[in-house]
Amino acid sequence: MNPFALENMMLITGFLLIIAGCYCLIRTYHMIKITIGIEVAMKAVTLFITLAGYVNGKIDLAQTFVITSIVMEVVVTVVAAGITINLYKKYGSMDIRNLRKLKG
Amino acid sequence: MHAMAYIAVSFFVLPLIIIVINNLLPKKLAERMSLYLAGAGAILQIATSVTEFFLLSASHLHEYEFSLLWNIKKVGSERFSVTSLSLVILFCIGFVSFVSILIANQTIEKKKTSYVNLFMTLVLGMNGMVIVTDLFSLYVFLEIVGISSFILIAMFQSEESLEGAFKYLVMSALASIFILTGLSFIFMQTGSLQYSQVRTAALGGQGGSQPVLTYIAFILLIAGFAVKTGAVPFHRWLPDAHQSANTAVSVLLSGIVIKVAGIYGFIILTNLFHGVPAINMTLAIMGIVSIIVGALFALRQDHFKRIVAYSSVSQMGYILLGISAGSMLGLLGAVVHIFNHATFKCTLFSNAAALHEQTGTLDINEMGGLQSKMPVTGFSNIAAFLSTAGIPPFAGFWSKLLIIMALWNNNSRVFAGIALFSSILTAAYFLRMQKKVFFGKLSDKYTKLKEVGGSIKFAEIMLTAVIIAVGIGFPLVLLYLKGRGIL
Amino acid sequence: MEAILYICLGLMLIFGVMAVMFHSMTKSAIALAAASATLGIIMYELGSIWSALFEVSVCSGLVTVIFISAISLSNAEKKEVEKVYADKKRMALLPAILIISGVVLVIAAMSAGVSLPPANPAVKAANDLREILWNNRQADIWGQIIVMITGSVAVVVLFKERDQI
Repeated sequence: MNPFALENMMLITGFLLIIAGCYCLIRTYHMIKITIGIEVAMKAVTLFITLAGYVNGKIDLAQTFVITSIVMEVVVTVVAAGITINLYKKYGSMDIRNLRKLKG
Repeated sequence: MHAMAYIAVSFFVLPLIIIVINNLLPKKLAERMSLYLAGAGAILQIATSVTEFFLLSASHLHEYEFSLLWNIKKVGSERFSVTSLSLVILFCIGFVSFVSILIANQTIEKKKTSYVNLFMTLVLGMNGMVIVTDLFSLYVFLEIVGISSFILIAMFQSEESLEGAFKYLVMSALASIFILTGLSFIFMQTGSLQYSQVRTAALGGQGGSQPVLTYIAFILLIAGFAVKTGAVPFHRWLPDAHQSANTAVSVLLSGIVIKVAGIYGFIILTNLFHGVPAINMTLAIMGIVSIIVGALFALRQDHFKRIVAYSSVSQMGYILLGISAGSMLGLLGAVVHIFNHATFKCTLFSNAAALHEQTGTLDINEMGGLQSKMPVTGFSNIAAFLSTAGIPPFAGFWSKLLIIMALWNNNSRVFAGIALFSSILTAAYFLRMQKKVFFGKLSDKYTKLKEVGGSIKFAEIMLTAVIIAVGIGFPLVLLYLKGRGIL
Repeated sequence: MEAILYICLGLMLIFGVMAVMFHSMTKSAIALAAASATLGIIMYELGSIWSALFEVSVCSGLVTVIFISAISLSNAEKKEVEKVYADKKRMALLPAILIISGVVLVIAAMSAGVSLPPANPAVKAANDLREILWNNRQADIWGQIIVMITGSVAVVVLFKERDQI
């Protein structure tokens, strides 16, 4: 296997981006950074779907998948931003270490 | 079009009509009537799913395909389809929605119009999940269910509910990423994501052209659906989300959303990828660990709704064990347990709503001796927890028996034994809760307490009657299935 | 064509890492927009023209606007952000982790024999995107309509100040 062939390179870049996004999700304390981490991982997923369509020959079907998943991603981002802003109004900061009401 | 077609289409169209009517009415009228509209929709769904089940079995078809406003005869077009399994789940969806509306009648004061809008999109998403025949459409409706449930939890903007909604959102986004990546790897090899084509692509046997990628896809798909189900080790969001939401929303979440979003995904996975033993083994191990961890955590909690939420984690383990047995008996046990768990979880949450309405608190250390003041709530609580623990003649006994029999037939004797003995743990945490809340000495501040009235009392009585009736009448169902040749 | 693809892949990875590692939220959002733009270029080169258009206009445009409006609705001072969240310190391990996992992935893939078949340029799909979307994926279209209804109810519920509705 040639690791520098184009398709394999895209596969590896996709996995690296998902690792970067999940690392951001786990380590950060800022609410909006968490949403940015989710977005970075969704970019990687878009890359995977396009790569699958390219390798497969069915690039048009893959395009419909990408368009639909972009719509989902936007609505999730809007809801996340809404919850984040409401939390900011309650606590005055975006730190997730403030969220300690539910324990056990 | 004949009757079957009209009814089948109504699963999708009826919630849409209710959303449109809800938004077209003038504001004051809508605030008063919206919950009644939603209740009527739920009752209609119960009625139509039962009717369609008998129509489908009378016509001897395996599944009925239909479409909504498009031409289904064209080559390669998508289709909706109802099978007997999806009709049973549609019945459960209608039933739990009805109970949720009964509770919402007394616990929700403001924002009723928006609540019913979101409630109807949630029902629409769940209906859609069970009637599609394509893996990507399954993901689309899964996202609809997820988005509606975040907003329903966060709607009333208390600090706890916003926190629970945020944690649920982060875990659910992770699940979506895993599921989509798994789907893209499967798409790479089969060229299409429709059920019929994935099934015939013989992925299970030889692993396709890229066996490593196929196995990575299976792991990612199992992890994604496990997050949505609340199985261990991805269960961390479940108690927070279910505790902090309004009780009407908790009923929906615990009663049907975690099952349709998670368990139905697993049913589809095991259906499509039949010959892979690794999937069954993973599900079985996840099931056993969920049962034990859920029960152990429930023993330590002090908040009524949190105990009930950990009990949900535990019962999801039983359903996973039933699916992992791989036989028709196991699947039957799992589906019956889905219905039984819905009934007793609804009862428990109705009791939580009743306790919150009357005493204003849900901390079990502050309550005690309420049996004399709230007899209906106390009795329905006993019925619910005996059914959970699997004691005859309540309904839970039958489904647990079917699951354990399926495991025994499959030579997984160890798992069957562990599942049997963990009924003791289930009874333990529920007995602790019952003792602290209902038995014991009545505290002074509760001398003026009255039984809860109105629709919550009606819900409790109806659910207790259903639990006892199903428990006593279940052998008739077994006879019917034997006559149809399924068992 | 291949050279552009390799360069854009590298750029997308770098912009993604920058979006994660910056401590200032605005710079993070702009790095995310740049990553979306490079992803759009990659998708265009691979042949999916319409979804590249969607990606650039929606993700690189609309989502960035949402982020910047959310950031500006919560205007904490920059110094305090840096001290309290300490993102630069907490994320400092990320490039090292990525390089190590990249090497591990390449070695694992080579030993497991994973190799994607090269795309066959002669086999191009005969159908147009619009035909496939409207003739073969009708359930997805219904799904998108419902998601947009849900999104609009979400905006009404979460962003309104008044108590009614």
